[in-house]
Amino acid sequence: MAFAAAIPINRISAKPGQIAAVALIALFLAIFLVIPAGTVIYTAFTEKGTGALTIVNFQDFFRTRLFQQSFFNSVYVSAMSVVWGTLIALPLAVLTTRFEFRGSLLIQTLGFIPLIMPPFVGAVAMQLLFGRNGTVNLLLNDWLGFRIPFMEGLNGVIFVQSLHYFPFILINLSTSLRNIDRSMEEAAQNLGSSGFRLFRRIVFPLAMPGYLAGASLVFVKVFDDLATPLLLNVKDMLAPQAYLRVTSVGLTDPMGYVISVILIVVSIFAMWLSAVAMRGKDYSTVQRGGGGLSKRPLRRGEAVLAYGVVGLILLLVLSPHIGLLLLSLATVWSFSPLPDGFTVAHYTRVFGESSLYIKNTLIYASLAGLIDVIVGGAIAYLVLRTKVIGRRWLDWAATAALAIPGVVLGIGYLRTFYGISLPDGTPLATLWVMVVMALAIRRLPYALRACYAALQQVSQSLEEAAENLGATKQRTIRRIVLPLMTGGLLAGFVTSFSTAAVELSATLMLIQSNSDAPIAYGLYVFMQSPAGRGPGAALGVIAVIMVAACTLLSHYVVERRQKTLGMNK
Amino acid sequence: MLKTIAAAMLISAAAIVAAHAEGGGKVTIVTSFSKDVTDPFKASFEAANPGYTLDVQNKSTSSGVKYVDETKGNNQTDLFWASAPDAFDSLKSRKLLTRFTPSVTGLPDKVGSYPVNDPDGFYFGFAASGYGIMSNDRYLEANNIPKPSEWGDLTKPEYYDHVAIAAPSRSGTTHLTIETILQGEGWDKGWGTLKGIGGNLQQVTERSFGVPDAVNSGQTGIGIVIDFFAFSAQASGFPVSFAYPSVTTVVPANIGIVANAPNQKGAEAFVNYLLSEKGQTVLLEPTIRRLPINPALYEKAPEGFPNPFKDPRFQSMITFDADVSKKRTDVVDTLFDQLISFQLDKLKGATKAVHAAEQALAKSDNAEARGLLEEARSLIAAMPITAEQAASQEVRDAFTGGDQKTARQAELEQQWAAFATEKYAGAQSKAEAALALID
Amino acid sequence: MNMEIRNEAGSRGAAKAISITDVNLYYGEQHVLKDINLEIKPGEFFAFLGPSGCGKTTLLRLIAGFNHARQGKVVIGGEDILDMPPWKREIGMVFQSYALWPHMTVAHNVAFGLEERRLRKAEVERRVNAALDLVGLKHLAERRPAQLSGGQQQRVALARTIAIEPRVLLLDEPLSNLDAKMRVEVRRELRELQQRLQLTTIFVTHDQEEANTVCDRIAVFNEGRIQQVGTPMGLYEKPANLFVANFLGTANILDGKVTGDGNARRFEVAGAGSIPIPAGVDVPEGAKLVLRPQYARIGVNEPGSVSLPGRIAHREFLGATVRYGVQVGSATMLIDAPFHSGDSLLEPGRETMIGFKPKSALWLAN
Repeated sequence: MAFAAAIPINRISAKPGQIAAVALIALFLAIFLVIPAGTVIYTAFTEKGTGALTIVNFQDFFRTRLFQQSFFNSVYVSAMSVVWGTLIALPLAVLTTRFEFRGSLLIQTLGFIPLIMPPFVGAVAMQLLFGRNGTVNLLLNDWLGFRIPFMEGLNGVIFVQSLHYFPFILINLSTSLRNIDRSMEEAAQNLGSSGFRLFRRIVFPLAMPGYLAGASLVFVKVFDDLATPLLLNVKDMLAPQAYLRVTSVGLTDPMGYVISVILIVVSIFAMWLSAVAMRGKDYSTVQRGGGGLSKRPLRRGEAVLAYGVVGLILLLVLSPHIGLLLLSLATVWSFSPLPDGFTVAHYTRVFGESSLYIKNTLIYASLAGLIDVIVGGAIAYLVLRTKVIGRRWLDWAATAALAIPGVVLGIGYLRTFYGISLPDGTPLATLWVMVVMALAIRRLPYALRACYAALQQVSQSLEEAAENLGATKQRTIRRIVLPLMTGGLLAGFVTSFSTAAVELSATLMLIQSNSDAPIAYGLYVFMQSPAGRGPGAALGVIAVIMVAACTLLSHYVVERRQKTLGMNK
Repeated sequence: MLKTIAAAMLISAAAIVAAHAEGGGKVTIVTSFSKDVTDPFKASFEAANPGYTLDVQNKSTSSGVKYVDETKGNNQTDLFWASAPDAFDSLKSRKLLTRFTPSVTGLPDKVGSYPVNDPDGFYFGFAASGYGIMSNDRYLEANNIPKPSEWGDLTKPEYYDHVAIAAPSRSGTTHLTIETILQGEGWDKGWGTLKGIGGNLQQVTERSFGVPDAVNSGQTGIGIVIDFFAFSAQASGFPVSFAYPSVTTVVPANIGIVANAPNQKGAEAFVNYLLSEKGQTVLLEPTIRRLPINPALYEKAPEGFPNPFKDPRFQSMITFDADVSKKRTDVVDTLFDQLISFQLDKLKGATKAVHAAEQALAKSDNAEARGLLEEARSLIAAMPITAEQAASQEVRDAFTGGDQKTARQAELEQQWAAFATEKYAGAQSKAEAALALID
Repeated sequence: MNMEIRNEAGSRGAAKAISITDVNLYYGEQHVLKDINLEIKPGEFFAFLGPSGCGKTTLLRLIAGFNHARQGKVVIGGEDILDMPPWKREIGMVFQSYALWPHMTVAHNVAFGLEERRLRKAEVERRVNAALDLVGLKHLAERRPAQLSGGQQQRVALARTIAIEPRVLLLDEPLSNLDAKMRVEVRRELRELQQRLQLTTIFVTHDQEEANTVCDRIAVFNEGRIQQVGTPMGLYEKPANLFVANFLGTANILDGKVTGDGNARRFEVAGAGSIPIPAGVDVPEGAKLVLRPQYARIGVNEPGSVSLPGRIAHREFLGATVRYGVQVGSATMLIDAPFHSGDSLLEPGRETMIGFKPKSALWLAN
């Protein structure tokens, strides 16, 4: 809408192809993001009764104690989640990139798995392990006579969120660390620096762009996430407040939409802030020479400590999955450290249906990932390599998707596309393709970041060389840029794919039939009854294994490709 | 390589689209019921009515209502199937349901004191549900607390931090429980009880199922739930108990045909099947365990299964006035949110202080302290509006967004929240002062 | 710049000797440094010269502590440093890429090593200024590395290293990122600076001209082994083997075999006749004849010279000289003839004789 208007066709020096690309992406974002979200959010700016445009609702927001408190809590929880996420990600990233550490690939893959936490079951499993009467606290209480409130209040949200989202920091920080020129570190050692001081003064500042990218993503995700606080019954945060208000029966309260607007504004502000902080700090282009930090072998004592720390962290971050696995095999698990008994009956129950869910999930998530990589790659190219007017707007609009609650987008899709009928009379909104589009829009920001990183690593001189040898812009992109970006694009695809595979909030509004349902929806349906807990968990385990297998496979493909290109030594 | 993947995906995608086109005889049902409920019905309905397929779309009650409303322009839903009568009422008032007369006859008009069917024939009760108190036996034993059986029990100090409830604004069934207490005990006394329970709450969940789930897993000891959650949990082997308090009500779970249903015939077939003896039998499945609306079915029911048509405890239940409830639904829910859910820490703080003072007072009496404690209790119980105000047009308009330019919901909420904050803080300091006097 | 600066920034105390004994290094199965033995004198400007992959940078990094030898000894100023971590070695190294930290200003880059030594702030400032003064970049102290030219970056890297007053200075291809004109200028500055600081310096390069012009002595590396150590002139005049002869300056190498014995030894050049081998010349097994282009004449047979038949294959006019390619047997020899105004050049295809004094020829094996 706004940004579409910001593309005057005449007074730009850009090539027609670039203008067409901008226009196409703008159209895509307008149809699938701005207009649907706009139809919903519009309510925030209307006056009750008259329907006239007003900002009185925003005044109400800032006057209300509950919202002030929620705002503060959301900021606090997001910031603390970044801190804890950093504490988890930092040792993993440093150990796997800077030391000869066995199982680095395994850690990089396992470290990714927390992102693939299916809805509902994850929180249930966490409660069973860390809740007030979960395994840990029951044992603590028996042995030592006290409990630790892991899962209570804001601290509980911080605990779960940092375990869930730290992979964003891990992935970005690891990439940054790997890209640091080895001589940067050696020069510092040569001048007498070592150990933690060397890390603090040289290595970490150089990895800062990657860290900031990851940290800002964590901040925004936590800020906008509603599922975790709700499942922990924490309501005085912004995203849950928005959700509760948007979905309540019969209420036409604009405050839900007002909060949505505020979520979007804060999220974009946070991304903008990190972009400003990173300005002029894109060191990858300044550095040249030997690639990657040298990997140092660990001494005996260090190795014991390192494996201990990594083991503990992995145990902690994978605990939801461990709990999930236990739950999927449990007969009854109630107020006891471990289930009363074990059975595989839950797996046999979901076996028949799961193949349909898996198929749907794979189709939706891979199509969404594909769209994300294409659109994200195009935006990244336009922003980094061209001067087309409006390219920044595309970037901001795509990033804003991060902050739009899934349920707002879902309702927006219903409003926008339900009135449009296909030739056979079925509404456009009921087509499964709409689920794919919603997933693609929701995951676009992730893929976009990955595409940026991938393109930044391709030296511009390689393109200039191709153009110099007579290749046109288009052919240069196809023959030089794309092949070199493959690793990064695949990484973006994997992030989009794996998180889309377990997404529920937008899906729930749009799924029209069980035969169209992805696995997250199947899970949700199971998790509504006592007898469904086991089968739901079994379905969750299947989802995690499926997505993890795809992730591992693509890691393997990237690794092999990088080797043939000689991009990692 | 990406190309091959894309091609493969497009082909399989095309296959799915093709499969859809064949359909035919599909009955689309939007429901809040879990798979454990819908699967047996789907299987038995399709077996009994060859040619029909039941397409189940699972949504929470509130998002289901929203969905039907948002898609009314090009409706694809045949049936709406859920527990809470208020959701049906909301659909009916928005003209989203269609009138129908089921072919099944001879079913009772009332269960307990609640009419089974919509008097205008827009929706029909197919099962009865009562509200009560569910508890985890292992939890109670470990914490050495007795099994509660009345709402009033839950206000006692020994239940502090052991109770869970779903927010009535999120759970139609819990809303009915709250309304039942308010109607049974009256506005002021009812809210007193609710705030007494509120002070003992460990959590206010956002989903109805969150409460039985927390009780099942032992995260909390006691939950205010609808009966079948407890019965089906028992059937699944969980160590839980359930009790109907004397002030409660039995209300029907309902089904209604959506206006302009694409498959009206199929929809009617399903309603008739659901009310038939065959359909009613399915309710007794261990994973479902709902009270059938057909009295004859209770002969097939397992040992100890409650019978709302015969058991004397159901006969004494209060008469639920659906009109009163309807008028103040939003106000009651919002009051609960603003006075209890969102003020939980402050309410619990005040309640804890009162409990401490009470305990001390029981050991050594002190008139002045008793007076302070009484003040503290009445501060906690104080309400920002009366029953009359709650039902007034002016307040209701704030929530319905009517065309009058009255107070906005946000303004009222802020007023009520501020009221509660102040009173609870006052109550806490009075109770603490009382305790200080005794010491 | 004056002599006092040495006391402000630069080497500490007397220059240190470097002694390398029996160093061997393996990358997995690959034997990359083989039996390295080397004595570098205090204050010497020493070059490691060799083609890429010869092990010269590997040895440099080993001295700096970034590679780890399985056996051997590296002693600096009497102290065995091989078991020390890089940051304890007090060895200054200038990296090929300069490795300036992009997130710090020039001044902070230079101050880094001093701060790591926990010097007082005033002291750090004084020595940063002195070091930047030494390389003439004081006015750019607040710039970021990305805002500097290649030559300026190089000087910052040097200043950063010298500021810590290292025991020895290691330069890893310091000129390779500069253009040709800068290279000549900077190498002269490097030499001057080294002389002034009297700092034992190792200079790694693959460019023999660089090594010849700035260094006191050179170690020539090939395939992980030191081929020969000597002064630039010594290596040129008396290369120890074919590789050194060929790598340092241009050399014609003629295949052939030795016939006769005692004083009657002759060298039969493949397909081009034979020449006598002077008495007392040591001819190793499988030796080839090595002749510098300027020692041969075309078509001139001076007394004491020997000659071989050949045919002009090509020529290059270089100004002061003309370099002819002459087909001799199966080899093409390069021969430089001085050019004087008015000389006429020989045309390709012309049959001729090349003559040279046997004493100027060398017989070297691999």
